[in-house]
Amino acid sequence: MPFSWLVLIIFAIAAAGYVLGRKRALNSASGDSRNLHSLPSYYGAHAAMWAIVPATAVLLVWMLAQPFFVNARVLASLPDTVVTEGSSIGLVMSDIRRVADGLDEAVLQGAMTRAEAASLDTDTTDVRDVLGSVGVALGSAVNADVLSGAQLYRALNGTATTLMSWLVVLIALGGAAYGYSKSHADFRARNTVERGILALLIFAASIAILTTIGILFALLFNTIEFFKLYPARDFFFGTNWAPSFSGRGGASDLGVLPLLWGTFYISLIALLVAVPIGLFSAIYLSEYAGPRVRGIAKPLIEILAGIPTIVYGLFALLTVGPLLVSMFGKDTLGWMQGGTAVITAGLVMGIMLIPFVSSLSDDIINAVPQSLRDGSYGLGATQSETIRQVILPAALPGIVGAILLAASRAIGETMIVVLGAGAAARLSMNPFDAMTTITAKIVSQLTGDADFASPEALVAFALGMTLFVLTLGLNIFALYIVRKYREQYD
Amino acid sequence: MTDASMSPESVAPKSGLATIDARTRKRNAAEKRFRLYGMAAIGVGLLFLVFLFSSILRSGLPAFTQTVLDIEFVLTSEQFDTAESKMMKTGEYQNIFVAALQEQLEASGLEVAFDAKAIERIVGKPGGTIRSFFLENPDRIGTPVSFELAASSRVDGYLNGRVTRDTIVDSRFLMTTDLDLVDALRDAGIIHGAFTWNFITGTDSGVDNPGGAGLGASVIGSFFMMLVVLFLSLPIGVAASIYLEEFAPKNRWTDLIEVNISNLAAVPSIVFGILGLAVFIQFAGMPQSAPLVGGLVLTLMTLPTIIISTRASLAAVPPSIRDAALGVGASKMQSVFHHVLPLAMPGILTGTIIGLAQALGETAPLLLIGMVGFVAREYPEGFISGFTDANSAMPAQIYTWASRADPGFYEKAWGGIIILLLFLITMNAIAVVLRRRFERRW
Amino acid sequence: MNDMRIVERDVETNKVKIAARNVQVYYGTTHAIKDVSVEIEDKTVTAFIGPSGCGKSTFLRCINRMNDTIDVCRVTGDILIDDYDIYDPKVDPVQLRAKVGMVFQKPNPFPKSIYDNVAYGPRIHGLAKNKADLDDIVEKSLRRGAIWDEVKDRLQSPGTGLSGGQQQRLCIARAVATEPEVLLMDEPCSALDPIATAQVEELIDELRTNYSVVIVTHSMQQAARVSQKTAFFHLGNLVEYGETGTIFTNPVDPRTESYITGRIG
Repeated sequence: MPFSWLVLIIFAIAAAGYVLGRKRALNSASGDSRNLHSLPSYYGAHAAMWAIVPATAVLLVWMLAQPFFVNARVLASLPDTVVTEGSSIGLVMSDIRRVADGLDEAVLQGAMTRAEAASLDTDTTDVRDVLGSVGVALGSAVNADVLSGAQLYRALNGTATTLMSWLVVLIALGGAAYGYSKSHADFRARNTVERGILALLIFAASIAILTTIGILFALLFNTIEFFKLYPARDFFFGTNWAPSFSGRGGASDLGVLPLLWGTFYISLIALLVAVPIGLFSAIYLSEYAGPRVRGIAKPLIEILAGIPTIVYGLFALLTVGPLLVSMFGKDTLGWMQGGTAVITAGLVMGIMLIPFVSSLSDDIINAVPQSLRDGSYGLGATQSETIRQVILPAALPGIVGAILLAASRAIGETMIVVLGAGAAARLSMNPFDAMTTITAKIVSQLTGDADFASPEALVAFALGMTLFVLTLGLNIFALYIVRKYREQYD
Repeated sequence: MTDASMSPESVAPKSGLATIDARTRKRNAAEKRFRLYGMAAIGVGLLFLVFLFSSILRSGLPAFTQTVLDIEFVLTSEQFDTAESKMMKTGEYQNIFVAALQEQLEASGLEVAFDAKAIERIVGKPGGTIRSFFLENPDRIGTPVSFELAASSRVDGYLNGRVTRDTIVDSRFLMTTDLDLVDALRDAGIIHGAFTWNFITGTDSGVDNPGGAGLGASVIGSFFMMLVVLFLSLPIGVAASIYLEEFAPKNRWTDLIEVNISNLAAVPSIVFGILGLAVFIQFAGMPQSAPLVGGLVLTLMTLPTIIISTRASLAAVPPSIRDAALGVGASKMQSVFHHVLPLAMPGILTGTIIGLAQALGETAPLLLIGMVGFVAREYPEGFISGFTDANSAMPAQIYTWASRADPGFYEKAWGGIIILLLFLITMNAIAVVLRRRFERRW
Repeated sequence: MNDMRIVERDVETNKVKIAARNVQVYYGTTHAIKDVSVEIEDKTVTAFIGPSGCGKSTFLRCINRMNDTIDVCRVTGDILIDDYDIYDPKVDPVQLRAKVGMVFQKPNPFPKSIYDNVAYGPRIHGLAKNKADLDDIVEKSLRRGAIWDEVKDRLQSPGTGLSGGQQQRLCIARAVATEPEVLLMDEPCSALDPIATAQVEELIDELRTNYSVVIVTHSMQQAARVSQKTAFFHLGNLVEYGETGTIFTNPVDPRTESYITGRIG
């Protein structure tokens, strides 16, 4: 049965459990709720909890595990010959899934009955055509093994889903019954319910860990798949990035070094723009500016932080790029070929990072105790001398940490470089050239036409892994530096 | 313990306090310079801000207007019958339209030559529009009807200044000779710019028709995504924060969770996109480019932000409130849910709105789950299909338009940015107002 | 060290170093210092005593124009050092503060090395011709601060690594490094333990041979031990000013007597 029905049934059982459990508790106290240990609603909630929680847990686990089992069974049923030249088992499996989905769609639209779909044969029907007529496009003709694999896939999924539904409903009923049986005046319902709620809270908190695990799983699994198809050495040390467009393997050069270079170069320019402006703004706002100026200037600069990066990307592509070309392009100095270049993206990214650097530095400078400033003024130092020779050195670890965090942000930025830096992977020192970054290539490789199991698409996961490790490393390093060199003012 | 006082000669000569010596003057000059650097930095930052916003307004406002052609004519019933009896019905209506336009132009004293092909280039083929109007409103046959027809985007560009007589390239879309006609029409008041609702409420159009593109479908897509984010990240975030702030013991497990949360807050958004692609689309088989998937990915991205701000709000509630609740015999959980949480609510809501505003503008993850290149042609049909039907979202739509490399679409992209920024400004303003009105100072 | 028999103390009359006439200080609308006139002598330790909030620290900070750093503070009246009005618009506070040094209540060494802490003042005022000169100044100041022997082997170690008493003596050394003529000390021992307090008090007694020292203290016993002249402040007014011995044994004003006998404060 459809998933939503199952959820509704579970909730209905829980609701019934609530009402009945509450009633039973009240009855056991001769109708006087004051004789109960907990408020009546807790007894109802107790029964409802027992209905929902075990059933939902089993549901989730089953749904997560079902694909593994089904895939393994289908895999085992396939003959070895099914993997042809230039293909892989992954590609075959995705073909099978696509055909199965197509058969589902055909049955749904009424183009064939369920029995027909199960007994389809490549000898008698052109499966590709049939599926095409219901709007499911397939790249090539369907061979017999794939079709039988798809039919097995559908059959297994069907039985598994039915089994799961029955099991879950039974568990829900059983749970509700158990909760109901416990409802009487002396039972400490509130404590049990609160323990259950605590468990839910812990689970919510653990989602952060689950997310990290999910990210690592997504990246690692596919990166390993990638390295099976393309040597890791060539990826990490290759200086050429030229994915082939023919799709499956072939002569692709997938070296990450030009991308790393582009990433670092653009981030460097961004920091060159953002750090002086951001740091000096922070110094002025925290040391010199009066409350009125601070009250106006600080929120205005913060606005730059709230603007989505797509806006900056468009700004780079359509405004800053042409502007720079008019200054440095072929009509004037001839340094710049096109609007998309390292300097365009770097400049705009720098603008984006100004409030980031500024507000972090502001916090750090304000954390330097006033007694140090007093001591310096008392010796007859001017304000700028105090800032340059006392405050900034004291704040230096924090400021270095802020710069590292800004660098991490710059490295991970996508939209500005996708729109503003170009798509050419190049190892060049010229800031007026177009150069691309890791993030831009992740987007282009995963949104292109390449098949998902091909190295051209899987490389995006390897790139993602590189990016993740880089930014995580920078963040941890920033934290380490701040912690190690932080001044103990007391 | 101390030395005898030193001889006066080894000390630098002291001038009276009233005369400022040269060194102090230099130091004061350095002080003034330093101060100037600070002001210059702020000035530069604000200049960038002004430059950015003026670019956005200048480039984006034209997207909201469309050049239209006013024409009024009478369709007699004989013309109607003749047209309906022909094979090429819309072609016949086209001819009627051209004749009527000719009449109108001559009546207003214009003396520019033109032909039917020129009209077609300028205003397209409104034959079908005219026909369907009269089919739906047969009672209007024989009476004067005025039509407002959209001009082509090239004409739009010409009147906007995007295309000039110098830069125009003759094509099947617009020829240099047509420009005279356009000028004449404009002078006669027949062609003018009008505010178009289609940009705001319409759907995306194919690559050939920048003028007809609208943001409406993607606004709906964004709306459904934000619903998912709100209904998932708020409960989960608050639940996680309550646990971490009120109940968690100080052990390695909770340390690990806290480290995880602060790391996740710093992970680049594109990595979340990869997560969404690998886990939600490939592994769990959810539909590509669906607001549901986008919402799930954005939920994971927004969770750390919401957790951090919720924890701050919870921590701001003074311990005396908790103690008071416990003192009358409430359990810890009751004290949290009945007392602490309601008091922290304004701060939590403010943080959530700000988190939602950030999520609204995210583009990179949406590209990876399939929203790039997707032409959002239709509104979703029902409420559930709003989540599961493939759709676009505002930032992804803007990106799609920007990557179509057609100046007509660039204008739409800028206009989309204006709408997106309006949403963001509204949300942030609501958050600020909420904070000012309901925040307590303990 | 001063003899405990304060009555028999030698009274030296020195020239007037700091002359204050009709000084008023306003913090916004609050009238913090009301019409104070006092003449502080050179080569003497003058103590400002009084209950908390009476304005003694505020008045002290007027002498080196540290109140300039507070926006809402307004000072009227005259304060003359060596007959120069320090509030004259031509006077640059930066130069003034080289001449009038200050030591604060809580020791506040910079997070730099001991050497750099002391060398900071001479560096910015350009008092040393070369490195050897600077080394000399640093050594001299550290000797004046009675801390040379303890730190001479670790001049490059951070100043924040010293004990509380050592830090305060370092701050004193730092203050004298710019060759001031006046030394202002705002409750210099209140954050120190008794042994460190004793070291610093002994140092103060030696400093008066070269400087005019003004010390704010909330401890009457410290004032009695350390100073030759004492000024008693109460609620922003200068109530009584005279020889320390007289103030503590034979005060003229009844308010002074109340404070000294512990009835107020």
